[in-house]
Amino acid sequence: MNRIRAVVIPVSIAGFLALQIGLFQSDKKPVHAASALTNSTSSGAQATVPASSPTPDGIGSASYAKRCAICHGEQREGILPAFPPLIGINHQLTNDQITLLIHNGKGRMPGFASIPSEELTALLKYLDSAPAMTPALTAGPAGNRRGPQLSGEAAAGGALFLQNCAFCHGRDAMGGETGPDLTQSKLVQTDADGSKISAVVREGRIEKKMPAFQFSNQELLSLVAFIRARETAAAAMKGNRRGVDVSDLQTGNVESGKRYFNGAGGCSKCHSPTGDLAGVARRYEGLRLEERMLYPRDAKSTVAVTLPSGEKVSGTLAYRDEFTIGLRDSSGTYRSWPVENIKYTVDSPVDAHAAQFPKYTDDDIHNLMAYLQTLR
Amino acid sequence: MKFLKSALVLAAGTAFIGALTLGAGSRALLAQDLEPDQILHPAPDSWPLYHGDYSGKRHSSLTQITPGNIAGLSLVWAFQTNQLATIKSSPLLVDGILYFTVPDNVWAVDARSGHLLWHFNHTTTEGDHIGHRGVAMYKGWLYFTTPDAHLISLNAKDGTVRWDKLIADVKQGYWSTMSPLIVRNHVIAGVGGDLDNLTGYLRSFDPETGATQWQWDASPAAGTPNATTGGMTWVTGTYDPELNLIFWGTGNPTPVLNGTVRPGSDHWTCSIVAINPDTGKLAWGFQPSPHDTHDWDAVEVPVLVDADFHGQSKKMLMQASRNGYFFVLDRTNGKSLLTSPFVPANWTLGVGKNGEPIPNPDKEPKPDGRLIAPDEGGATNYRSPSFDPKTGLFIVDARASYSLYFAKPADGAYGWAGADYGVWGKGMIEAIDYQTGKIRWSHEVGPYGSGAGVLTTDSGLTISGDSTGSVLALDTSDGKTLWHAGTGGPMQSSPITYELDGRQYIVTSSGGVLFSWALPPGAHTSEHPVKHTH
Repeated sequence: MNRIRAVVIPVSIAGFLALQIGLFQSDKKPVHAASALTNSTSSGAQATVPASSPTPDGIGSASYAKRCAICHGEQREGILPAFPPLIGINHQLTNDQITLLIHNGKGRMPGFASIPSEELTALLKYLDSAPAMTPALTAGPAGNRRGPQLSGEAAAGGALFLQNCAFCHGRDAMGGETGPDLTQSKLVQTDADGSKISAVVREGRIEKKMPAFQFSNQELLSLVAFIRARETAAAAMKGNRRGVDVSDLQTGNVESGKRYFNGAGGCSKCHSPTGDLAGVARRYEGLRLEERMLYPRDAKSTVAVTLPSGEKVSGTLAYRDEFTIGLRDSSGTYRSWPVENIKYTVDSPVDAHAAQFPKYTDDDIHNLMAYLQTLR
Repeated sequence: MKFLKSALVLAAGTAFIGALTLGAGSRALLAQDLEPDQILHPAPDSWPLYHGDYSGKRHSSLTQITPGNIAGLSLVWAFQTNQLATIKSSPLLVDGILYFTVPDNVWAVDARSGHLLWHFNHTTTEGDHIGHRGVAMYKGWLYFTTPDAHLISLNAKDGTVRWDKLIADVKQGYWSTMSPLIVRNHVIAGVGGDLDNLTGYLRSFDPETGATQWQWDASPAAGTPNATTGGMTWVTGTYDPELNLIFWGTGNPTPVLNGTVRPGSDHWTCSIVAINPDTGKLAWGFQPSPHDTHDWDAVEVPVLVDADFHGQSKKMLMQASRNGYFFVLDRTNGKSLLTSPFVPANWTLGVGKNGEPIPNPDKEPKPDGRLIAPDEGGATNYRSPSFDPKTGLFIVDARASYSLYFAKPADGAYGWAGADYGVWGKGMIEAIDYQTGKIRWSHEVGPYGSGAGVLTTDSGLTISGDSTGSVLALDTSDGKTLWHAGTGGPMQSSPITYELDGRQYIVTSSGGVLFSWALPPGAHTSEHPVKHTH
């Protein structure tokens, strides 16, 4: 095993070095890497230039178009997260290292062992040339470019994002372990100046286990810029959209869903299509609707407390652990007691949603979803 | 809460030294030094490795604090890291000094007073800063893994760097968070990194020079056709000196939610493996989640128990796995003795003859979603369970949960490759009867789950925490609460205990604060516990 790895490791390092480029810049030279892109933006072109026309070397660009563009993008911008951008690859790898990669391949990248040396030389030269356009990842939101500054800001934000956010939200902010896809987040979409995003980052979302982070204002701005850049890149994916689309959640049957609502699901015991659920499909759609259907996290419980004196107090359940019960009464006043001193009963209608989980088939859920979507 | 004056602690400590007979393992060394034999047979005044001992039972023979007197348990000191990073590490205790970590940081703290001796800060700008589980120690040296996947050896006296070696390449997407396992002259370190399609591995280093001794790969090299990658090794394993085997849990396969490009079982991802610590050779493997598509790392502590199983004396290995199943294996050969769910789990077609669950293909992530129990955070996670030998209970921080899993072609076959959304969860500390898998008692700890690890003691105490931030002391026999204290945030580490100067301490953490608890001096010698003063 050791001997095999000795051969594999240098190749894989080279391969994954390439993956990092343009993604979040090299930590060694963040300023340099950002300014390299900045320069190309200002000197290169604001407008999109076709890939084939302005490059000095037709053989190199043709070779790139034929062999590389399908994965690394027509403009070398990469198709993240699977395929790394190649813009600026010359800052990260020597021509010998790139040659080794082209010859041997890496991971899912095929090797091109028989590429003619003339073509290889031209391809290396092409890879070394300035890009025709700014890669989407490091650019600001379309229509809101504030010039070169923004790409550096987004890049700096990307580095912070990778260290602190990527584990849960995915390296590309499109969702990952536990954390939601930020590019489809309502909060992100409606946050004109970044203040809502900043507030969430500063405060965390303790109830959803998101920790608070202590970033400077500048760092927060860079994070917001990065998330915006990811939002723009995601929007550009169009039909090939990752994550959960409204269109993905249309596999159910309306009639079956209606039967489940009124029968086995027990939904009609508490809900009515002409009452509380009237127009629900106008208020929520897609994944948000389905999540709320399965378990509305913000549903309120009520609590009735009897004090040792016999006095009765009731209100909205505001806090509960093993030792303390807290409520907010009709005047909005918060009151709490040690549980051993009182008698209390909690009414949580939402518990019926949790009790339903073991009973659902996946078809039940899709059918119910189809039915709820008719309540417009 | 009662804060003790340091003068009082000193006086009391002196008095106790003569009053109490310490265990045979007690040492009077003045230098910070930890010989391999002291790791093999930990003294009561030490917690010399991540799990406290090689078995991973996280069970202490100390009996000063009991169900009868724990009402008087008080805060001795709190240590503030003054950082937002949550403490997820188990401190080591060696020669009166606690060593603990958050990413990029190590602290050495006087275990008696809680005052700082030294702080090592090694700021890294790369790698995932998701958490850190603690250091390892060998002789006078500490071993610290970093977010950019280095292994740094520090002088335990002052935190100065001796050497700095590479465990893995951060540029590829690796990181490291774990506390290495020391076995004789091997420092065994693991890696994290499932944002990319990478091979998980264990690497053994020479404790003196840092030279690589061996490497064991959990999965084939990236790019192998139809083969999985993954199997990260991010939680410290356990060790059986008689069998001379280390036992390690491995993480999920990659791509994570899309299993179509890695058909078959995906060995040795989501597995429990037995490896020779001298050679790095695999002795056997057992797979809690064959062909996982739900991110259910099987890295949870493989707890080693020697006891009766259905009338036969067995060398067992027990794991409460993230996928919702509790496993008991014969650790001499990896054969299954028991497989039983400990929370709702709806993703299998049943359990195979070999004791491994059979995944239901219809419960793999789909474009229109699948309702899955447990959720991706899992039935339990990296925080340690505990095994109590007297009651035969395996006590674990557990969660019941449901979630939606999605995957479609556009999600690709790299890294996460899908999406999942937790819809509901609740936490409970569960006591599992290892002979039957039945839940003997279950103590609810709040919505979503607590995440606190578990410690048990010979006096019948179970120490853990709830989801709102209380430290809990439960009666191991029935799970009833005996004592609690709010600490301002949920415990994200596993408690430890030790005895210094004749006084038993329990150390817990929440947020960036470490708490040391003990009975007031003299309280444990009294028939009647001292009244708890708030």
